[in-house]
Amino acid sequence: MESNDWKRLEIVERRSREIAEEFGLSTTDVLFEIVSSQQMLEGMAYRFPTNFSHWTFGRDYERARTIYEHTGGGLPYEVVWNFETPQAFLLESNPFALNALVIAHVWGHVDFFLKSRYLQRGRVFSDIASEARSAAERFRGYEERYGKDEVEKFIDAAMSIEWHQHPDPFFEEPDEEGARERLIRQERAKLERALDFHSQFKKPETKAEIREIEKRLKRLARKTPPEPVYDLLWYIIRKSPLPLEAWQQDVLSVVRSQARALAPNRKTKLLNEGWATYWHVRIMRRLFAEGVLDAKEHGVFADFHAKVTRPLRHDFNWYAIGPALYEYAEERWDRGQFGREFDECDDPAKKAYWDAKTGKGREKIFEMRSFYSDRMAIEQFFDADFIRRNDLYLYTQTVDPQNGDIVDVVAERDPEKIRRILKHLFVHYGTPVIRVEDGNHNQRGELYLVHEFDGFELDPSYRDRTLENIHELWGRSVHLETVIEGKRALCTYNGRSVSVDTGGSAADGLIEL
Amino acid sequence: MPIIRSDPVAPKGKKDAARHREKQKDAIRKQLPEIIARESIITSKKGKTVRIPIRIMDIPHFRPARDSAGAGAGQGKGKAGTVIGRRPGTGKPGEAGDRPGEEYLETEVEIEELIEMMIEDLGLPRLEEREGEGMVAETRFKIRGIQKAGPWVLLDKRRSAREGLRRFWGFLRYLEQETGQSELECFDALKQKDGILSDALELLQSGTYAPVHTAFEPFPIFYPDDLRFLEQKKDIEYHSQAVVLAMMDTSGSMTDEKKYLARSALFWLVAFLRKIYERVVIRFIIHDAVAEIVEEEEFFKKVLGGGTRAYTAYELAGGLIESEYPVSEWNVYAWHFSDGDDFEPARAAQEAKKLIERGISMFAYGEIEPSGGHHDSSLLAAFKELLDVQVHWKDGFMVVSGRESPFLAVAIQKKEHVHLALREFLDKERWGHGI
Repeated sequence: MESNDWKRLEIVERRSREIAEEFGLSTTDVLFEIVSSQQMLEGMAYRFPTNFSHWTFGRDYERARTIYEHTGGGLPYEVVWNFETPQAFLLESNPFALNALVIAHVWGHVDFFLKSRYLQRGRVFSDIASEARSAAERFRGYEERYGKDEVEKFIDAAMSIEWHQHPDPFFEEPDEEGARERLIRQERAKLERALDFHSQFKKPETKAEIREIEKRLKRLARKTPPEPVYDLLWYIIRKSPLPLEAWQQDVLSVVRSQARALAPNRKTKLLNEGWATYWHVRIMRRLFAEGVLDAKEHGVFADFHAKVTRPLRHDFNWYAIGPALYEYAEERWDRGQFGREFDECDDPAKKAYWDAKTGKGREKIFEMRSFYSDRMAIEQFFDADFIRRNDLYLYTQTVDPQNGDIVDVVAERDPEKIRRILKHLFVHYGTPVIRVEDGNHNQRGELYLVHEFDGFELDPSYRDRTLENIHELWGRSVHLETVIEGKRALCTYNGRSVSVDTGGSAADGLIEL
Repeated sequence: MPIIRSDPVAPKGKKDAARHREKQKDAIRKQLPEIIARESIITSKKGKTVRIPIRIMDIPHFRPARDSAGAGAGQGKGKAGTVIGRRPGTGKPGEAGDRPGEEYLETEVEIEELIEMMIEDLGLPRLEEREGEGMVAETRFKIRGIQKAGPWVLLDKRRSAREGLRRFWGFLRYLEQETGQSELECFDALKQKDGILSDALELLQSGTYAPVHTAFEPFPIFYPDDLRFLEQKKDIEYHSQAVVLAMMDTSGSMTDEKKYLARSALFWLVAFLRKIYERVVIRFIIHDAVAEIVEEEEFFKKVLGGGTRAYTAYELAGGLIESEYPVSEWNVYAWHFSDGDDFEPARAAQEAKKLIERGISMFAYGEIEPSGGHHDSSLLAAFKELLDVQVHWKDGFMVVSGRESPFLAVAIQKKEHVHLALREFLDKERWGHGI
């Protein structure tokens, strides 16, 4: 990059920040770094500026590199991290206008980092970058001492269940003894009330009920976990009967905290990318209008913007659907298409031309970026109108019986069904809810997991291999209660093979929900 | 805030990408028996690389089954049922459906790489090490030195001229010394007498000498001894070469399916030999009741009627060895594929024995019987009776091998057996005896 470009880029950075602020976006200092394509591709693949070694990062790096090399330079790549001082990469070989576009885009992300309640939560893990750097160092040592394969096996197993965190992102670290005390206190209170014969508020308790409470109290005293735990790695790190060595606990802890730091991003990917894209267009327009960027550069910008935001036939393009979502919400709130009166109107023509000149659009989208998760946004705005306007569909893969080709076919165009499936996909962001029910199953330290069934059965091959990985960390039999072909089933991996029990009588063995 | 240029960091992606590739290879290795019998491989025209589907290397995790959640969402026009994408499947129709939920990625692999993997998989030494093991193959001529006689075409003019000049100067000095005349006069006399020393000396001493040439100009004088010729030597280059005499029963009972199995086995066997020998020639012989030499195309396609007499093919192979591929210069591999219902099995066994006795590297018989059933065919029974063989079974796969001779017979009943047959063929022990 020439020094003149360098100066101009600093001007773009300064002016675009001012424009962002004029639009009402929050900003903070951002560390913009000019990097080589290799650093950019690694930054995207490794989750953080530096991280430990793992083949999945290598795989993603390779994939991105292949795309980069095949499409030639000038890809609109950007990486930005939600650190205390956010850090963003600019690709040195990108055309000037494209780097300007990336800077404008980053201001959208930065506002989102600062204002979205989910991403604010992510900022709690701000140290994660330096932790990743030192973890890389320690893991290298483990590899030397315990062997590369051994360390890899553990990272693999940890990553298998890294997204199984507590469903509430604001939930603090679970505390087993605290929970036990609380539960015991509750039961004791019930018992005391039952035994207080003089209380006038007492409803008559039967002997059986009292015995029941006493039984529960007894069980609570030693049950682990006393109440279901959703954070699988957290539970395994503390309770694995193996027991885990210090380095193994370290590996699991690092993988867990990285996943926890990234979880808020997963829950808001659509809103976050949509927000950044919505604003980069508006900031860029101003930069061109003010002459910070010249007319020649406008073509470059327009090209790349079109490339990023084009609808994809095989993928959910965040950069297309995200800004469309905000624009749709903005339009509806500008025209007052919300509230009881609008919802209860059942004249489609009237609804289509509804315009109460409310002008609350901007306010609404700022509120969405502050308080919504992707699931909430989809729930509220993926209605028939939106799905039709954006030509959204679901597709499936089938095999052509003629020649064995794998064929992608449009499967669903019914807006109501699309909405239902998408909503589901976004509820847990592709991660089914699994809880630890019992860490001492059969009194033999076996692990009993329960899949909280929500209408979608688990992929059997992935399920079985995941159970094997959990066994790697637990060392004893691992059970998973789930639903297979509409029936309750218990899958067990005993260290050698997975057995599936769907037999009716075997249901007795299932723990009562 | 200023924009900074970041310090380059040690590249990590490459190393981890290599590890990923290694894991992919492991996955391919596990699928080898299935992969090598793939139709797309042996029919690939280019022959250098093949595309094979391998499972995407992924960290297993709990996730909804694909059929319940669909493959994904997209944007665009098109009714339900509109095809939005298509790519070559995992082989035969219906096969992909056998593995629900697994995602496959088409990966390009070099056939060379697959062969290496099979060799590793079978625990064989790397075959290249054997390369060049001595068979006389080619002779040609090579210039190796200089000699004083030879055909005029090989006259080395430069060297000869040098020798001629050397003689000129020698004569000149001699004349100067003998006559005491000047260099120019001696030169002139020598020139007048066409370089003959005794005549020039006579002229100078005769007293009748009169100068003719006024400029001193050295010239070469050639005596027979001065000519230099390039020396040409017969150069024997040691090449390793092999001929494959591929024989196929094309009687009516050999269905396309049977021929396909034969073709698959042949493809890989030739590929292996190509790794061992610098040069591999394949000759194709088909037979029913009589044998004929054909081109590759016909070998796999032609259907003859009539009966089955394998001995006719073996005789023809013997003739080829006699006339074109002497075992002193060629490693000869005779491979025969048949379903084994032979009309004159005893005679076939006799001819096979003769072939082995010629000193060929291997006589292999692949019995193709996709219908299964473990009764010995007439041909196999005859081999067992005549030749000194041992029979062993491995997981339902029968191998008959000569105790002392390079004889091998296998029964290929299904695709997966191709891999086992190759394993037998490449067996370390047998290599020891075979070559």
